[in-house]
Amino acid sequence: MKASLIWSSPRPEMTIAVAMRRCYSTKTIEEIEVELEKKGPEYWRFLLTKCLQDKSLDVLEHFTMSLLLEGMAEPEMSAVLRRFQFIRAADLGGSGWLVSVNARTLVELWRDRGGRPLAEPIVAELRRQNVSPLFNDLAFGEGAVAG
Amino acid sequence: MRVKLLYSTDLKAIERALEAKGAHLDTDVLMDHVVYMFEIEDCSRVTTHQLVRHRVASYDQESQRFSAATKEGVVTPPSISANEAALDAYEDGLKAVYSAYEKMVAAGVPKEDARYILPTAIKTKLVMTVSARSLMHIVWQRTALQAQWEIRELAAQLHGLARGATPELWGEIVER
Repeated sequence: MKASLIWSSPRPEMTIAVAMRRCYSTKTIEEIEVELEKKGPEYWRFLLTKCLQDKSLDVLEHFTMSLLLEGMAEPEMSAVLRRFQFIRAADLGGSGWLVSVNARTLVELWRDRGGRPLAEPIVAELRRQNVSPLFNDLAFGEGAVAG
Repeated sequence: MRVKLLYSTDLKAIERALEAKGAHLDTDVLMDHVVYMFEIEDCSRVTTHQLVRHRVASYDQESQRFSAATKEGVVTPPSISANEAALDAYEDGLKAVYSAYEKMVAAGVPKEDARYILPTAIKTKLVMTVSARSLMHIVWQRTALQAQWEIRELAAQLHGLARGATPELWGEIVER
């Protein structure tokens, strides 16, 4: 199975961190972004680790992506779509699928035996494109944070 | 109220990728693949209670468990601000509520408990990520004349920003 990234949310790790801070801060988004830039990547690592550890995966829903996926048969895709209702997949006939997914669902796919075969090529593509290195490391790396 | 589009899916990139594959998808299908992330600030909790009833979206909202409330941060409906007697009653009520809130917090009551007395007029901030399909449903329902003035204003702003970002998807959708 092969995934090719078409598009993903800009600055995904900042977006996730902003969503997390939104709940606990009275500041505007611009002020939160300045605060996050000032605190630096170690603080982002702390926030992302906390979200993955505490199963507060809702903040990951703001990191979204669309991909072309090849090599997945219709019955396999249907089985995944039945269980993971927030994936959107459009059949392109013999050319594969247009798949749109958010990072929460991607983590849930990764952690699920039935979902893992779909998650693996998507995660490999995120790594190849270096889209969200810190998130990739914490959610899918060798020492991934357990949920 | 301030509404800002933080990002939206690059629909052109999707269309280019489909074209390269010799594939075509109707607008109706693409609506599921386009999302918008919005920042919404300074609308009332009355309105966000209505907004989050649209469940197929992702929301993260400022929590009153942790942030202190101030009486400057409230929305006053036009029907109240235009009526002197009503405005007096509204402001007296807010003064009493906030005074009780501040006394409870000063007495050591956690903010998460003291907030039980706060009004739903209080201003709030949230981020929202929503697909084009869900947003169209929100716009259709919440710009209706029967909808309340504040969420109508919010829905109109969401609509304007989404239409500006992806006009191809919004051609046939009109506010009510």
